Amino acid sequence: MAYVATRGGERAIEQSERLFRAEMGEITADRVAEMRKALPYLVDRVMGEASLYDEDLAALALAQTGGELYEAVLLLRAWRTTQPRLTVAEPVTQENLFTHRRISAAFKDIPGGQVLGPTLDYAHRILATEVLSGENFLPTPVEPASRPSPAQQPSVAAWQAENDLLTAPEPDTASGNTIPDITREPLLFPAKRAHTLQSLARAETGGVLALGYAAQRGYGQNHPTVNELRLAEADIRVRHPRGTEFSAGRVKVSQAEVVSKSGSDLGLGYAATLGWNEVKVIAAATLDLNAKGAPKGSATEEEFFLYHTEGVESSGFCIHFKLPHYVTFQSSLDAMHDARAKKAAQAKRAPKTDISPQVESAE
Amino acid sequence: MTTLPDTLPGWGHAALLTTLARADDARLKAFAENLIPALPEVEVLDNRTGLVMLPMRDTAQGTHFHLGEILMSEARITAGGQDGYGMRRGRDLEAAMAMALIDLAVALGLAKPACAAFLEAESAAQAETDRETLCRVEATRVDMETF
Repeated sequence: MAYVATRGGERAIEQSERLFRAEMGEITADRVAEMRKALPYLVDRVMGEASLYDEDLAALALAQTGGELYEAVLLLRAWRTTQPRLTVAEPVTQENLFTHRRISAAFKDIPGGQVLGPTLDYAHRILATEVLSGENFLPTPVEPASRPSPAQQPSVAAWQAENDLLTAPEPDTASGNTIPDITREPLLFPAKRAHTLQSLARAETGGVLALGYAAQRGYGQNHPTVNELRLAEADIRVRHPRGTEFSAGRVKVSQAEVVSKSGSDLGLGYAATLGWNEVKVIAAATLDLNAKGAPKGSATEEEFFLYHTEGVESSGFCIHFKLPHYVTFQSSLDAMHDARAKKAAQAKRAPKTDISPQVESAE
Repeated sequence: MTTLPDTLPGWGHAALLTTLARADDARLKAFAENLIPALPEVEVLDNRTGLVMLPMRDTAQGTHFHLGEILMSEARITAGGQDGYGMRRGRDLEAAMAMALIDLAVALGLAKPACAAFLEAESAAQAETDRETLCRVEATRVDMETF
């Protein structure tokens, strides 16, 4: 690959950026606050892909980029590098999640029951066009139950292990800085499981969906059933300098397990991400379920899906093709002209031959 | 010589910090400001934003992995031989400092009734918010027998 340094575009570059920003107009704190309030699922998606949780910063990134998601995620990933890491929190466990939604498609009667939480799964998809005519859309309020749902819901996988359907995993002793971290180490293959799950947690939703969907349609080895899907809030458990462990607040998380029959046992695929984004975690868990033994170069092969769902790298590589490649392309053109000239010279030198098709006579 | 930190009757240190970390930011700052005159000269060791990495346990194979980082505000102060610490979500340095001031006041045994009253009120407000959320969640429970 070859690049060439050029001059002369400074004014055009400056004006092009102004042109982009002119479309969004003035960015105010009120606009950012309104975006945060009105677009919680988009804010969640951006935070998950940026691997940086702060609703205000995510809403600001969306406002500043006019909703160009790849640019918004890139802004947040870049900003993240300006901040020190204060500590690593205690690992979040499923049974301690403050649960808003917990369903299973595999078992009807799961311990704790099925709680739909906030979802449009069963809603009619009708565009409220009356809003455009000045009639406001006011959502019908929830009729709260008289007693609260339990804040913590039991684990479906643990119940399956108790019933000899799954093997309960061994506890991981890694904690703090001993947990492998792809923001500080290269992603190598075969990948450490902690790297795989961290990569999927910060992967680009559309990319994960495309490859997960391919696996679900039959290009994978295992068809998934959602064992458990959970939207919840997780405590950020840190330590006071005197050693006291406490919750420094909560963040929204999504988590999915998908299950498939694997020999005489059940196999589980798993994924989780920051924010509420259930399409992403179901698709990512499908990839995790299918990764073992996947053919080289297939959509479900770990190296393939981890490399190709990293949104900042993939979008960056894609858009770099629009930057000047004058020398590279000129070199290709020169090679093409040269080949044509050689072919023409060859044709001139070669004796004329009859190129009419040979027809075999019918018997 | 460092003395052992004082405590609030009925309040463990973990519960105190958890409540302060989720307390309403405006009320937290207002309450902490009122404590300042009673405190000895405070030295600020840290008041900054930064990231806390949040790991999670995978339920399929039990692996601990990183979900991502969270923007936090932190304050670390010292006075009268005791430390005060605050850490809260977001980029509100004043709120983190307010939390640290209350933690310090409790460790020094100052304004105990006022601190206990503030914590009780905030804890009750947080419990009520959670209860309201969970009552709305409960309304979405599926009664499978009626399917």
